Amino acid sequence: MAEHTVENIPAAPAKTGLLHEIMRNRWAYIFISPFFILFAIFQAFPVGYSVYISLFDWNGIGPMTYVGLKNYSFLLGPGGKAFQQSLQNGVILFVMYVPVMTLLAIVLAVLLNSKRVRGFRIYRTVLFMPYITSMIAAGITFQLLLQQDNGLFNVVLEELGGSPQAWLEDKWLARFSLCLLIVWGWLGYNMVIMLAGLQTIPHELTEAARIDGANAVQAFFHITIPLLRPVIVFSVILSTIGSFGLFNETQALFRSTRGAGPLRSTLTPLVYIYDQAFGRFRLGRAAAAGYIYFALIFVLTLIQLKYMGREEE
Amino acid sequence: MSKKLLGLTLLLIAVMVLPSIAIYPVQAQNAPSGKIVVWGWKAAMTDTMVASGVVDDFKAEYPDVEVEIVEYAPGDVYVNFPLALTAGETDPDVVLIESSHLSEIVALGGLLDLTEKVSPYIEQVNAYRWPDATLDGKIYAMPWDSGPVVMYYRRDVFEKAGLPTEPDQVGELVATWDGYLDVCRTIKEKTGLYCFAHNKANNYGRLYEMVLWEQGLGYYDADTGEITIDSEENIRTLEMLGQFWKEDLVSDNLEWTDPWYAEFASLDQPVATLIEASWMEIFLKSWIAPGTEGLWGVTRMPAGPYGGARAANDGGSTLVINGKTDNPDAAWAFIEFTLARRESQLKLFAISGFIPALETTYDDPLFQEPDPFFAGQATRKVYAEVVAEIPTATVYGPHYGEMNGAVSFAIQQYAAGMSAEEALTEAADEIRYGLE
Repeated sequence: MAEHTVENIPAAPAKTGLLHEIMRNRWAYIFISPFFILFAIFQAFPVGYSVYISLFDWNGIGPMTYVGLKNYSFLLGPGGKAFQQSLQNGVILFVMYVPVMTLLAIVLAVLLNSKRVRGFRIYRTVLFMPYITSMIAAGITFQLLLQQDNGLFNVVLEELGGSPQAWLEDKWLARFSLCLLIVWGWLGYNMVIMLAGLQTIPHELTEAARIDGANAVQAFFHITIPLLRPVIVFSVILSTIGSFGLFNETQALFRSTRGAGPLRSTLTPLVYIYDQAFGRFRLGRAAAAGYIYFALIFVLTLIQLKYMGREEE
Repeated sequence: MSKKLLGLTLLLIAVMVLPSIAIYPVQAQNAPSGKIVVWGWKAAMTDTMVASGVVDDFKAEYPDVEVEIVEYAPGDVYVNFPLALTAGETDPDVVLIESSHLSEIVALGGLLDLTEKVSPYIEQVNAYRWPDATLDGKIYAMPWDSGPVVMYYRRDVFEKAGLPTEPDQVGELVATWDGYLDVCRTIKEKTGLYCFAHNKANNYGRLYEMVLWEQGLGYYDADTGEITIDSEENIRTLEMLGQFWKEDLVSDNLEWTDPWYAEFASLDQPVATLIEASWMEIFLKSWIAPGTEGLWGVTRMPAGPYGGARAANDGGSTLVINGKTDNPDAAWAFIEFTLARRESQLKLFAISGFIPALETTYDDPLFQEPDPFFAGQATRKVYAEVVAEIPTATVYGPHYGEMNGAVSFAIQQYAAGMSAEEALTEAADEIRYGLE
């Protein structure tokens, strides 16, 4: 942009303050302003305002009572067991599905990227389809499939000689079922990200490695994975944020407990925050929970960037 | 001025003035006019209020009022209505709220004070319905229907188990929870069938709350506001229900799921009983178990160990008015016409079976009608008996959602092996910290 202005106005004096600069490029700024205006109203302002709200006891309509840091101390203290459980659930769910889903996404992407697969566009579409399916519809379908008495899962399991499982009635099975739904719904999305990453890696590199005597597995781990690292990091970070922010999936599977699941096993921070804000009208507490949740995600993302994102020497 | 012209002028004046004289007295009544927007769920609004013709009756009496009904599921009402209140919206004018959520909405603030308007009807409505509608001595809602809880039972199962099948006899057998336990044992032993459905892992406290209610118990002390979630009575009540789990007398099906419906509809593998409010009748008949006509009976629920009555409440609904409404007169006219008039309430009752909170309807012959679905039993008579005896309890309240959430978790923990005392104490502490 600066180059343009220099060309257009060759005789510009040196005293170019920021304001001056803006004035000179006013049309450019006017044209990009809609985004920033909307961003300010619907993103920046609420972000700031919720810090303020988090210091109050407020139901959204009545008077606001200043309570200092009480909302924070409640959430982190003995009364905030549900919230603490939700943070713990975020970590548990992350560990349960992110590694599996990421690995599957990479393997599928590599398979589809190799020239050997015929009709790869069809596979790509089929795998991506769940992502554009309504998660609520999918969730309700999964709920039917996972039903203890006549669900397809148990019917098949019994045919194979196993005993029927209470998929949605047990703490760990409930989490497993939730992970199943998530992997089904998000695998295609992650695969497409990986595929995009793979297509930037020149085939020559792998070919050269193969000529030098590396087998397919070695080439995968020593060529493909390292070169794909930035894309993997991106996808894992998104999944981290996703596992703490799970919402639709839990609502569809565990309606009776409003997403909390058996023994709060699938209560995620976002479900907790939503419930506090729009179920209990405790906006202050919800805002405080939002900030604690944000801080946690922020730290986790930094850690991931530091340990996973660094380039190989 | 010629006579002709004068005459014409006088005639003209007369023509212009007369109609306005004729219309004037009508306008003087100051009848409400304009448009009101009513929010509520399909089963109550479209399927009942509109289908019964009560909305048309209202329009006939108030031709200047236009009524727009907007369908929302209950869960959506409780999110969208508070948001509308927060935003200071003038729409909706009238909103349908379940009793369980009423106190929370009232406590939010923003509803129209109806104290004076409902005052002529205070004595005519089930007394136990007013506390939830009241805050600081002011009343904010008009009750529509009540949810008297009874015990539905399958006559065929009782017969197979060698037990009596007539409502009075069954009622005697299940006079207490101990008696009920014995009945369930017999049924299990003789038929192998489950006595009722009581889910463990996703339990959300409905049955437990009904049993608290019949004993006049609840989650807090009505006078001091002190939390009673972990009181001796509450702990023992939960353990009493737990006994049915321990002896494997109940099925694990979760309310409002397909296997739960299937248990009622089944002819060879049904569940024997169901403790639920009277509004369940229409659901059983119409879509859950239409093929089981003649197999059902209704009797009173068992009495709890801590007194009260063999009567509890579950659900029930009310109409409220948005405090920011631009048409309070039309809004109240709508509520008064539909809910406070005997004829309207009876019409609503006839089509839906929702028991009116308005007690002046109870002497109507509709309540005496035998019902073939219940083998000719006049079930509505039972409901009317029960509703008159429902004690005041502290299950619903301004923090019901939170308390129900914490207690549901406690019940799940208890079902998973924790002691009732420990689980309920934990829940009570969570609530106490949260209300500090």
